[in-house]
Amino acid sequence: MKIYEYTQAPNPRRVRVFLAEKGITVPLQQVNIATGENRKPEFLKINPMGGLPVLELDDGTRIAESVAICRYFEALQPNPPLMGTDDKDKAVVEMWNRRMEFEILSMTASAFRNTSDFFKGRIPQVKEYGEICRGAAVKRLEWLDTELANRKFIAGDRYTIADITALIGIDFGRTTGIKIAPEQKNLARWHQEVSSRPSAKA
Amino acid sequence: MKIYDFTFAPNPRRVRMFLAEKGIKVPYEQVDIMAGKNRTPEFLKKNPMGGLPVLELDDGAFLSESVAICRYFEGTHPEPVLMGADTRDRAFVEMWNRRMELDIFGPIARAFQNTTELFKGRMQQFPDYGKAQRETAIQRLGWLDGELKSRKFIAGERLTIADITAFVGIELGRTMGGLVIPPEMKNVHRWLEEMSARPSAKA
Repeated sequence: MKIYEYTQAPNPRRVRVFLAEKGITVPLQQVNIATGENRKPEFLKINPMGGLPVLELDDGTRIAESVAICRYFEALQPNPPLMGTDDKDKAVVEMWNRRMEFEILSMTASAFRNTSDFFKGRIPQVKEYGEICRGAAVKRLEWLDTELANRKFIAGDRYTIADITALIGIDFGRTTGIKIAPEQKNLARWHQEVSSRPSAKA
Repeated sequence: MKIYDFTFAPNPRRVRMFLAEKGIKVPYEQVDIMAGKNRTPEFLKKNPMGGLPVLELDDGAFLSESVAICRYFEGTHPEPVLMGADTRDRAFVEMWNRRMELDIFGPIARAFQNTTELFKGRMQQFPDYGKAQRETAIQRLGWLDGELKSRKFIAGERLTIADITAFVGIELGRTMGGLVIPPEMKNVHRWLEEMSARPSAKA
């Protein structure tokens, strides 16, 4: 078993943090996105979408998509539960994880993709669209601050995959100057807490 | 239990089709997106994101996000299995569902949102971005055509949530988003015909 990944990219970090919380160690193999290694025919055989990370099982099966990889390990090693405990809780965690993914991580990532020099000439950039995404992310952080007034973590009183997605989405916002505002005390408290877990450094 | 729904929107259709495949009946209540009913303070209490569908449970809890709602019903009504049968299969189906959602449904939806007359004045549209997204969608469909050469459904020989996601996305593109699937994509056409013939396609 091994995981193809790239240390600097946000999605591979999601899986590394998830595995660190579970206490699972998997060998990692670097695929350099900056030099376009993930777009070479050899890698496209591993994941035709070109995305990282990809989990390769011992039987040769390859599983791409961070959340699919996390779901595999959640079933393999249920404790500590990071994707919900019963039917309702599993759905609640999935709802929150998707909100964090689509409303925050996607927005900070699209802002970066469409405005950064890193992607210049690599993808068709629409700067104006990137700015819209940036604005949307800033607004969502305001909303998330109010949600966190009533509970410890994103999906309830327990740390879940939704916290991982939110942490990585918000941290990636630094690339385009999206930050937690000083008055967002609940969000700052939560960010401090999840960042101080050993897994945050994975 | 009930589901807040809007018949013409693609995400509510995903859940209706999923429930039809499971043989589950849930009462629906319409929330008119075109009249902005999903942006009222009352609705935002149910889903602060304003999206549809939303499942209201008997204990008063609200669940949004189509795939989260599907996962709830997959847990309460496991048969027929639509989200994978074992650890490896569940991860595999999830990978394919996300590919269909992020790499096919997503670009088709963004092409639609950024080019349709329907949204003119309702949101800031970027027609060039929309056109580029439509091109991306067609490229990805070309890739999907190659994948469907060797198997019946998106994630294998059995219908899964990944087929529902892809079908609903492509239908949005074909009926409202100016998406034309080239005739040479024969495997995609074969699969689309099969999907359209299922009773759940009318849900």
